[in-house]
Amino acid sequence: MKEVVFAGFGGQGVLTAGLVLAQIALFNDKKATWIPEYGAAMRGGTSNCTVKYDPEEVGSPGQEEPDLVMALNNPSFTKFVNIVKPGGYMLVNSDLVTVDTDLRDDITVLKIPGSTISDGLGSSKALNIVMVGAMIKAMGDFTKEEAIAGMNDMFAKKGKNDFEMQNVRAFEAGYEAV
Amino acid sequence: MGDMVKGNVAMGEAAIRAGMHMYAGYPITPSTEIMEYLSWRAPQEDRVFIQAESEMAAMKMVYGAAATGARVLTASSGLGISCKQEGVSYMNMAQYPGVMINVVRYGDGLGSLMSGQTDYLREVKGAGNGDARMIVLSPSSVQEAYDLVYEAFDISQKYKSLVMILTEGGLGQMMEECEYSEMKTVPFASWGYTGDRSKDEYRPMGMGADVYAHALEMAAKRVTIKEEMQRWESGFLDDAEYVMLGYGLPGRAIKSYVKARRAEGEKIGYIRPISLWPFPEKAFKGINPGVKGFISVETSDDGGMVEDVALYGKKYGSGFEKVPVYGLFCPPGIPTLRFIGEKFEDIKSGKMKEVF
Amino acid sequence: MAKMKYPEQIVANIPFCPGCGHGIIVRLMVECVNELGYSDKIVMHQAVGCCSLVGLGLDWEMLVGAHGGGGANATGLKRMLKDTALVIAYQGDGDAYNIGLAETLNAAYRNENITVIAVNNTNFGMTGGQMSWTTLPGQRTTTSVDGRDSKTSGMPIKVPELIANSFDTAYVARGTVTSPAEIRKTKGFIKQGLQNQIDGKGHSLIEILSPCPTNWHSNPITDSLDRIEKELIPFYYPIGELKVKGE
Repeated sequence: MKEVVFAGFGGQGVLTAGLVLAQIALFNDKKATWIPEYGAAMRGGTSNCTVKYDPEEVGSPGQEEPDLVMALNNPSFTKFVNIVKPGGYMLVNSDLVTVDTDLRDDITVLKIPGSTISDGLGSSKALNIVMVGAMIKAMGDFTKEEAIAGMNDMFAKKGKNDFEMQNVRAFEAGYEAV
Repeated sequence: MGDMVKGNVAMGEAAIRAGMHMYAGYPITPSTEIMEYLSWRAPQEDRVFIQAESEMAAMKMVYGAAATGARVLTASSGLGISCKQEGVSYMNMAQYPGVMINVVRYGDGLGSLMSGQTDYLREVKGAGNGDARMIVLSPSSVQEAYDLVYEAFDISQKYKSLVMILTEGGLGQMMEECEYSEMKTVPFASWGYTGDRSKDEYRPMGMGADVYAHALEMAAKRVTIKEEMQRWESGFLDDAEYVMLGYGLPGRAIKSYVKARRAEGEKIGYIRPISLWPFPEKAFKGINPGVKGFISVETSDDGGMVEDVALYGKKYGSGFEKVPVYGLFCPPGIPTLRFIGEKFEDIKSGKMKEVF
Repeated sequence: MAKMKYPEQIVANIPFCPGCGHGIIVRLMVECVNELGYSDKIVMHQAVGCCSLVGLGLDWEMLVGAHGGGGANATGLKRMLKDTALVIAYQGDGDAYNIGLAETLNAAYRNENITVIAVNNTNFGMTGGQMSWTTLPGQRTTTSVDGRDSKTSGMPIKVPELIANSFDTAYVARGTVTSPAEIRKTKGFIKQGLQNQIDGKGHSLIEILSPCPTNWHSNPITDSLDRIEKELIPFYYPIGELKVKGE
């Protein structure tokens, strides 16, 4: 069973990023859960969600000991760095995470200039997909092709296939950055 | 393959597909998405949606609508259901079918927004004044939440009883794979009010003229429900030294935990009650006679279900009269396997004492 | 002795107190429904309190109402029955204006297509004559034994005026049953309220000032009717149509 936490400012698309991973898992015949922090916890500008996936079943859907945390801003990094599973990953958007990231020697901090990459693609909104690409590479549970097929399937079902090319480019850029 | 669907949305869609005619409710976290979803989805299918002025009024609207033989639904969380108790009891008195959903938030009074199971005693032990009871069903996945709501309307009509779907903030808010079933079109029940007093098929008005007959009818009905409606899922009971019991999210957590520990050789089993009233006492049959303890795993201050685990598990004649019952009470939020594991070690080592 | 004629839907004696206005009002409601051709298309919300006695003798479909729930119960009924049947919420002042004030006002606020008949006898009758929000200042009740003290308990509430002045409803009227002439006028108000529902115009409230000799401790024939005409109507509760939509 794998656990990934997505955290950042509201508007950075972390909830959607989590959903993309869950749909990729589903598309590739795995079980998945997605759960946000909700209610008062979502006020105040930061948000996060937890995705778990497994070939058989997911027990408790709650946040426990993530294999990887995607942190898109400083508060997210600080909040979650200590719960990453030993041997796990902290995937940071190095354009916005400026705090000292060298806090634990039992995890790997992957620094991806996500904002720079997405801006370079012409859309700052693509940040979350860039980071999903990087996350998929780091986790190593899905090939690039499997993941892209799952992502495209999700957006197609939402009637958003107009953005398919942009999404694929963003995903690939993130994937190659790791 | 189903799609990722939010628990609250799945339950709303289940009601639509089960032929629900009317929803009335009032916004409250973490159940609000049910009403938000139905606010546009119900009119789309020519069903009635009402945003009521209060929880109390919503339940009274549901009661009025149920009198016509319509399939009715309301949903709320914790304290919202407290406000509805008067209408709940009226529904029970009149034996009107209806479905309620409680997406529980942890705590008493205003409570918190965190997920929890702190409404067990109210939902399972009573439903307003009178010896009122509701059939209480608790899902542990989004698909099961969908399936139970979809079926609840039929169960409710069959037994002339309210059905309460008792779920948790965590399940209402989470997304998981869910496949939808076919859309049912259901007419109003033939006994419902139409305005024509000359037709003869009726639910009695109120308790009916004969209160003694009403009392006997209600008692008989509950005996039937207790016999026919017990539901649970269980595993690894025949040689279990400890049996964990949990419903909802703790239910899926213990199942996962037990499977993992079994792989390591730990002799532990689980029972996941799906019906909470009636409590699935039949589930205890087949448990290892040498079992050392029953463990009620709940997201609660000091337990609700633990009382039923003791009451039914240690029932006279069961052979388990002297088996200790432990309360493994998880803190507010979603239970973690790590916490369950730590507390289980405390139980085995004798550090944690039994509740009953 | 002449045989008393009454509508066939009244199948048994309804045990209201001697001199109570409810009996007249029930009869008026039934006559109006029958005359409008809805005798087999009528469902009534029957409030807790004296209103609940109608169940003993009126052969209509009736919902045993929750405390003060008339506005909400009738909303549920009407939203389901739509135009296939009339829905009346039959309530007393204690029910509609005290415990049910929220439901009463909110049903009016939404302009639900229902007809509310609120019987105002200035006290809680069924429970033995306690103060209600319509009790007059100085009026003795079992919970205001020295007379209602408005400094601590408020002034008599006028819900019809509140609805007429504040909400977008179809119709508000206040009648009484103190004389054949007033009874005829009141019947007209009730009938208009039901006609509005048939026409889909929305919410109608008809408040009816009704004597309660038992709890007023007064002579049923003379003193009680006098009190309505000399105290209630001139000083607190004027009768007539308070609001007719479109006028």
